[in-house]
Amino acid sequence: MDDFQSAEEAAFVVDEVSNIIKESIESAIGGNAYQHNKVNQWTSNVVEQCLNQLTKLGKPFKYIVTCVIMQKNGAGLHTASSCFWDNTTDGSCTVRWENKTMYCIVSVFGLSI
Amino acid sequence: MEIVYVYTKKRAEFGRQCNFSDRPAELHVDITPDPSLLENFIERNPVDSKIQCAQEMSEHEVNTERFETENRGINHTEGGWPKDVNAQEIEQVMRFRKKVEKDEMYINTIQQLGGVMEHCIRQNNAIDIYEEYFDDVEVDSTDEPPSAKTINVFRDPNEIKRTATHISWFPDGPRKLAIAYCNLEFQGSSADTSMDSYIWDVENPNKPEMVLKPVSPLVCLEYNPKDAHVLLGGCYNGQIAFWDTRKGSQPVEMSPIEHSHRDPAYKAIWLQSKSGTDCFSASTDGQVLWWDIRKMGEPNEILVLDPTKKQDLTKACGAMSLEYEPTIPTKFMVGCEQGSIMSCNRKAKTPAEKIVALYPGHHGPVYALQRNPFFPKNFLSVGDWTARIWSEDIRESSIMWTKYHMAYLTDGCWSPVRPAVFYTTKMDGTLDIWDFIFKQNDPTLSLQVCDEALHSIRVQDQGRLIATGSQSGTTTLLELSDGLCTLQRNEKALVTAMFERETRREKILESRHREMKLKERNKSSQGDKDDDEGEDNFEEDENLVDKAEKDFWHVIETEKKARERKEASRQDTEADKGDTGKQSPIQEDEEEEEEEKEPEKKEEEEEIAQEEEIKEDDN
Repeated sequence: MDDFQSAEEAAFVVDEVSNIIKESIESAIGGNAYQHNKVNQWTSNVVEQCLNQLTKLGKPFKYIVTCVIMQKNGAGLHTASSCFWDNTTDGSCTVRWENKTMYCIVSVFGLSI
Repeated sequence: MEIVYVYTKKRAEFGRQCNFSDRPAELHVDITPDPSLLENFIERNPVDSKIQCAQEMSEHEVNTERFETENRGINHTEGGWPKDVNAQEIEQVMRFRKKVEKDEMYINTIQQLGGVMEHCIRQNNAIDIYEEYFDDVEVDSTDEPPSAKTINVFRDPNEIKRTATHISWFPDGPRKLAIAYCNLEFQGSSADTSMDSYIWDVENPNKPEMVLKPVSPLVCLEYNPKDAHVLLGGCYNGQIAFWDTRKGSQPVEMSPIEHSHRDPAYKAIWLQSKSGTDCFSASTDGQVLWWDIRKMGEPNEILVLDPTKKQDLTKACGAMSLEYEPTIPTKFMVGCEQGSIMSCNRKAKTPAEKIVALYPGHHGPVYALQRNPFFPKNFLSVGDWTARIWSEDIRESSIMWTKYHMAYLTDGCWSPVRPAVFYTTKMDGTLDIWDFIFKQNDPTLSLQVCDEALHSIRVQDQGRLIATGSQSGTTTLLELSDGLCTLQRNEKALVTAMFERETRREKILESRHREMKLKERNKSSQGDKDDDEGEDNFEEDENLVDKAEKDFWHVIETEKKARERKEASRQDTEADKGDTGKQSPIQEDEEEEEEEKEPEKKEEEEEIAQEEEIKEDDN
């Protein structure tokens, strides 16, 4: 039983993390339209809030959070990642969020200790 | 031999097993280019951008710290006696002296020093170091243009600034100024407005020499000419108070409220008396009160300024200014809020007779009133937009007046040393210096003393220094150039001649005015008789109106023609003149004035005549 619990605790639950990401994007950017001079603030706000929530989960993980904000002006964007890690415990989650004027892409990598 | 040592550690103690594997590359985001979105954007062409070629500047202010000076004194006393000799006791001193005089060295020293001393004394007597070389040479300052320079500025030291309402010069030399500060705006002063007035040392604008602490702010403050320690003040609440500078900042005594003025005591003046304790004050409540500062419980005498001579306080005129000339101690004059000037005699038998004469004065309050120090029959009044000079004999109008200025006049006074010079202050912050021998139309010198309105002016008795106070309590001390404060050659004779000529002119106009009035009255009374005999009233009336109208237009026509003619003749003469030089501006002006005045008077007479007729018809 203990084992099961610890296994459950130690796992990287993608759904949970993706919810956290969405919430932090909504609260940091919300309905704002793209504003060049605000973007720096938004990106750092998103990343910090995200990390805050993740650490509150109290799981034995190291986290890496990245955020990309792009204005919707017709340009394309393609990102990819590859990892060398423990496939059973570690995990990653990427959320793509958009409104009328911009894309916001946030990736979280969780690495168990 | 082989030594084998085995280390053992449990697997669990190594931590989690590193069981790493590769995760294949994963595509996170794939946003394809969408050119349609680009249509939401408009290319900005041309683009505004700013560049600056000039060097970037920044504003910076530096204020040097004020240099504060302070006066200190040292008192030297006799010293140098040995410790056991008390210099206060003559016996000890004498004994010590005798002892020293017996000493051999004493005689030698005295003989030595005596030689040196003699030399010094002789040297001193040989040359008079205080000799005035150019005593008999008269300085001719008429050529230099009149000027004035600011010597000092005294600011109200309080946070909330008040108007400098009244200035008084120290009677023994130009060393001190007593300035009364008061906010004259009705209900304009808040609870934390200071009520203090100050005595300033002329040399030290940093700190007042003395603070006067009345119970209500002072509107006027006057040094006693007989005793420079005593000051008389009129308070905003109507009380009269006096200070003795030896007894501190609090007033020595104040008049009780129930026997004081009911309005601000705008003027208080010391009277000429043996004891030097008598004074009188005036206020806008319409009363003039006489006081003796030895018994302030009640005024000695009360005069109600009722022009109808019934001593009715409800009909009294409020007094704004007072005039008192010590050389004619029984007379005084009052300038009223309503604009008229009352000439009064204190020694009349009944109170009603005290008001001797009424002068029409100004269109507004008379702010200043002063007799000419050389010709007390002529006096200056300041009010509305003009300053006027009056002769006591002419009660109909003033004998000389300034043009109507753009700003209100606030105060004025005569020069104590030159009969032809007077000063006026204006609402726009200018001080005008008039010399009517030199120029009548404009001031000889007009100085912009400060940006806000000037409120008060006072000249020092020697005529060189002028202090003028402003709305926000800044008092500026000015020094006049020599030309403005030394009596000019023939000045008194010229001024006498001018006053006499102007008085005569006014007299002639007055008598003519009266004559015409009489004529008109006779005519109209004849008309009345006709009416009695049964003529139609109405027709007569209409005829009169028609006639008056016709006359009026006739007068205007003639005036127009006269002007045209004059204009033409002036152009001719100007063309002719060439090198004939300047004509005396005085005469020209007078002619103009007279010519302008006569038609006016005619019109007035007609109006008066008409009115009279109407009245008679009513009867």
